Amino acid sequence: MNDMRIVERDVDTQKAKITARGVQVHYGTTHALKDVNVDILDNTVTAFIGPSGCGKSTFLRCLNRMNDTVASARVSGEILIDGENIYDKRVDPVQLRAKVGMVFQKPNPFPKSIYDNVAYGPKIHGMTRNKADLDEIVESALRKAALWNEAKDRLNAPGTGLSGGQQQRLCIARAIATSPEVLLMDEPCSALDPIATAQVEELIDELRASFSVVIVTHSMQQAARVSQRTAFFHLGNLVEYGETGTIFTNPTDPRTESYISGRIG
Amino acid sequence: MQSDPHILRAFDRDLEAVQALVLRMGTLVEEALLSAARGLRDRDIALAQQVRQGDAAVDALEEQINQECARVIALRAPTASDLRTVLTVMKVASNLERCGDYAKNLAKRSTVLNQSPPIGDSAASVYRMATAVQQQLKDALDAYLRRDAELAAAVRLRDQEIDQIYSALFREILTHMMEDPRHITGCMHLHFIAKNIERVGDHATGIAEQVIYLVTGTLPADQRPKGDTTAFETGA
Repeated sequence: MNDMRIVERDVDTQKAKITARGVQVHYGTTHALKDVNVDILDNTVTAFIGPSGCGKSTFLRCLNRMNDTVASARVSGEILIDGENIYDKRVDPVQLRAKVGMVFQKPNPFPKSIYDNVAYGPKIHGMTRNKADLDEIVESALRKAALWNEAKDRLNAPGTGLSGGQQQRLCIARAIATSPEVLLMDEPCSALDPIATAQVEELIDELRASFSVVIVTHSMQQAARVSQRTAFFHLGNLVEYGETGTIFTNPTDPRTESYISGRIG
Repeated sequence: MQSDPHILRAFDRDLEAVQALVLRMGTLVEEALLSAARGLRDRDIALAQQVRQGDAAVDALEEQINQECARVIALRAPTASDLRTVLTVMKVASNLERCGDYAKNLAKRSTVLNQSPPIGDSAASVYRMATAVQQQLKDALDAYLRRDAELAAAVRLRDQEIDQIYSALFREILTHMMEDPRHITGCMHLHFIAKNIERVGDHATGIAEQVIYLVTGTLPADQRPKGDTTAFETGA
């Protein structure tokens, strides 16, 4: 019967892009993440859901070593991207973050022009030799972020002058300009209105063709709408991970059930 | 009915309200089936008439349930067991609506049957079958109310007993027709009645299967045993 699903969103691959094994995170004496094991697929949108303080953002921030910047944070275990341990001493976190892009909760464009916001990453990573190359990267990133038509005539205008939804799409363009392979999004729509949210969600679905997308969201319906895989975190544990349709119709763990159906659990 | 309440209590009130409608519908249908069968057994035309008129209320309830479910889906975006509850409610309502129609049809045919002399004690046999099916319906709805998958599984398996009663009645009716061709018209009506009651049993089974889906998240995969042999009956 399960093979006949119509609404199941196909994943294009079963290939794991990110593999986490026994990941633990402590902030000082707080045990924030407890033994997380998961395979995140390539070309798939994976949603992390769970109540505040459950560890989902902590885990997301492990994936591009953002927790390195938190003095009290200790990360143990293994996180492999394409089979390489990103916590290996030889890995340069700056290079890693070019490969693993991130979009934050609030749109945070640089106080620069739209063009420079997008061009910044490719420039510092030395990805271009001349202006023509850079122009091409900027246009391509803005097109992928569905912002080109709105921005092409005002590339030199400040990024901060765009609407909230446009700013968030600019941040997505900035994140994808360095040709990352993984895109992390930490509640990318929580500051946006429903129309801008729908545009960003449509964008996420398109980006899936090129990236492995991981999105942290407090909106269960957003997780249901955009993801093919959902992971539910609770009190630092990865409680359940599976096909999104299954998680939302017939979850295995009672804690998942309580959380997604809005019960006191 | 649910173990844990929702944080937003209005959601619980919505779900409980729509489920209360289903249970009211179930009560009406059970009564209609029993009254129709009693009307036939006791040759009570007034009772039959009452059943025929009562079906409109059952239909109206189904319509109301569908509308309420549509609202819950639109406004509450139910997930997991809440979603299964809404889907189950709609299916059970649809099953009950059909059962109501069969009870009404029984009442109609009994009005015709009551215009000619009784055929043996077939009407009493039909009544016994109707009470057995009503019990099935009641147990299926109890299983729903209590979220009791074991009871639902038992109801599902017991349907073969209904099938066996139907098969026996089929042969009884056949015998009456062979004995006296003047009974053929009445026996045709009796047979449709028996078949329709057997169909009510199938709907009770359908409700039981929905309860299993509601509780476990999957419909039972195994074939249930069948006791209806009339499809192979030759009359010889």
